[in-house]
Amino acid sequence: MSLLRVCSRQLFWNSPAVEPLFTGCLRAASRAVNDKEPLKKAKTPKGRFDNLEETSKDVLEKFPDDVNPVTKEKGGPRGPEPTRYGDWERKGRCVDF
Amino acid sequence: MASVRTASRLLSKRVLSTAKAVPAAAVQGSRNFHFSIYGKKKNAKVSDDISTQYPVVDHEFDAVVVGAGGAGLRAAFGLSEAGFNTACVTKLFPTRSHTVAAQGGINAALGNMEEDDWRWHFYDTVKGSDWLGDQDAIHYMTEQAPAAVVELENFGMPFSRTEEGKIYQRAFGGQSLKYGKGGQAHRCCCVADRTGHSLLHTLYGRSLRYDTSYFVEYFALDLLMENGECKGVIALCMEDGSIHRFRAQNTVIATGGYGRTYFSCTSAHTSTGDGNAMVTRAGLPCQDMEFVQFHPTGIYGAGCLITEGCRGEGGILINSEGERFMERYAPNAKDLASRDVVSRSMTIEIREGRGVGPEKDHVYLQLHHLPPQQLAARLPGISETAMIFAGVDVTKEPIPVLPTVHYNMGGIPTNYKGQVITHVNDEDKVVPGLYACGEAASASVHGANRLGANSLLDLVVFGRACALTIAEQHKPGEKLSPLKPSAGEESVANLDRLRFANGSQRTSEIRLNMQKTMQTHAAVFRTGSVLKEGCDKMDAIYQTLEDIKTFDRGIVWNTDLVESLELQNLLLNAVQTINSAEQRKESRGAHAREDYKERVDEYDYSKPLQGQEKKPYDQHWRKHTLSFVDQKTGKVTLEYRPVIDSSLDEQDCAHVPPAIRSY
Repeated sequence: MSLLRVCSRQLFWNSPAVEPLFTGCLRAASRAVNDKEPLKKAKTPKGRFDNLEETSKDVLEKFPDDVNPVTKEKGGPRGPEPTRYGDWERKGRCVDF
Repeated sequence: MASVRTASRLLSKRVLSTAKAVPAAAVQGSRNFHFSIYGKKKNAKVSDDISTQYPVVDHEFDAVVVGAGGAGLRAAFGLSEAGFNTACVTKLFPTRSHTVAAQGGINAALGNMEEDDWRWHFYDTVKGSDWLGDQDAIHYMTEQAPAAVVELENFGMPFSRTEEGKIYQRAFGGQSLKYGKGGQAHRCCCVADRTGHSLLHTLYGRSLRYDTSYFVEYFALDLLMENGECKGVIALCMEDGSIHRFRAQNTVIATGGYGRTYFSCTSAHTSTGDGNAMVTRAGLPCQDMEFVQFHPTGIYGAGCLITEGCRGEGGILINSEGERFMERYAPNAKDLASRDVVSRSMTIEIREGRGVGPEKDHVYLQLHHLPPQQLAARLPGISETAMIFAGVDVTKEPIPVLPTVHYNMGGIPTNYKGQVITHVNDEDKVVPGLYACGEAASASVHGANRLGANSLLDLVVFGRACALTIAEQHKPGEKLSPLKPSAGEESVANLDRLRFANGSQRTSEIRLNMQKTMQTHAAVFRTGSVLKEGCDKMDAIYQTLEDIKTFDRGIVWNTDLVESLELQNLLLNAVQTINSAEQRKESRGAHAREDYKERVDEYDYSKPLQGQEKKPYDQHWRKHTLSFVDQKTGKVTLEYRPVIDSSLDEQDCAHVPPAIRSY
């Protein structure tokens, strides 16, 4: 049966219009380039490292060099001063008062 | 060929015969005991002393620490460092203890930001406790604070630093300079926003240097007491269901608080007051159980607290009618009134039927009238918090809130050295062999109200104090005093009864009843009639323990059984709390009553002392409550113990005479 297919392919080879059709069929058959289905790897934890632009934006951003520019505290809490309202606040949650 | 066949027939017969020799399906109650004794536990012996159904493994140590949070770990490795053969029995893995959730800081008068003196910290703490704290214990804690923080830093805890490299300190927790006259003090050290987490991991890592034996996921059932002396602990290994008796000369209890007695609390599900209950069952008192610290705006169901900054930025509290009810209770300050006023107002609204939700048991905190950009700029992360914990979009819907329990000031009474005391013949008497530290203990440094960032300090200082006291008074390898072979049999009988309990009320139902009753009757709003009603209801709920129903009959990892044991412990704590609150007819610190709004001391400190007559001891309330419970009936008896007013060294640090507390 494969023999028949090979014969039919050889018959088509001569006409130039068929070539792109032929290579397109081959490519689709081999699935080397697939625009419709995204790569499954991107959804896995390991795959996320491949597109670093998609890292979630943290609400409290890290200070440059971890030094608070106003108080010059190194290694302190990120974001606004936690004790500014009298209790220890982080992300709207009070953790100590 | 035939010989092979006969050989194979013979072989198969042998296989069959060996198969028959194996005993048939295990008969209930008799099974092989699978505890392998290895490594340092060579001295563990299996015995049938208590019951043939529950073989017991006996261990002998120099010291046993129950609980592996901040205080427990510090005590455990302090003892190992001093050379004692120590066991640490804990129902959770050490780094999963509730200390990990303490994100605030730790106070110490290091003097890095400005000139500071621990005596000023001492004054602030005494004032914060509303003069119910024992001044010798507070003296000890504040004097040891700088050394404790430096020690933690030497263990590797990554505190935040100033430019010069010293530990950065910020203003927090009602701290002042020069005995309240010098302005705000900066004393709070922190590790970014995870101080408790970092503390716990540092202590755990450090403890692995010493050879403490960890018994993780062992639920401590009871203390082994004989002649008023504590000789060890009996525990259930949750992993394989075996019972273990840990005999030791010294037992340290560091099991944490009991937030879970209330419906809304910030504590973990494991904060069930096991240590307090163990001590109560041993016939010893618990101290100051009525002092429970509340926060007005805790998210309904989740228990996380919403910062006061929300109200500071313009958020308002509304009831079921959509009314801004704070205007009625505090016409000037409105929503920015002090925490206790807000908590009480919220509770009164709920009691009067204007609560929201299907059970009308909470109120709303509305933020959606504020511009979203302002909210995001001033309170970053709040929309995330509200979505995760309350499931609401803070820019469209209000957050459900109600007053929430955060800390228990009460617990096992100890002196400043960490030894558990009881009050006999008007004197404090030490219970030999028993120590307590952390939130489970009441040394009492927090008195009637805890200041922020003092709790983590309390853990490390008193954890170390217990270890030092034991090292001072005992030597490693001391011979253990004899113990009755059947010690601990009541605990095992209780365990067996709970395991096969077949009443009509489930553990979860009884627990929910208790939590709802405590939240309605023993929360922020306390009046004589409400408390009395609550006491009667709690008594009835305590009786329903007889009718409990459990489902899991196994012994391996039986969480139903462990939850029922925890429920027994919670109920003991709850009855003591509500009865102590009902008897205390004054308002002091966190215990605020509507019918007795004033503090009742021996003198009236709002007027000059000259010419005033000192009230006799039984007519004023500046004393500690000691509560005993009869385990079978649930009846609570109360006694009182005077507050220690003198510091450890009057020359070095004079005690602070009582005054009116105003901030």
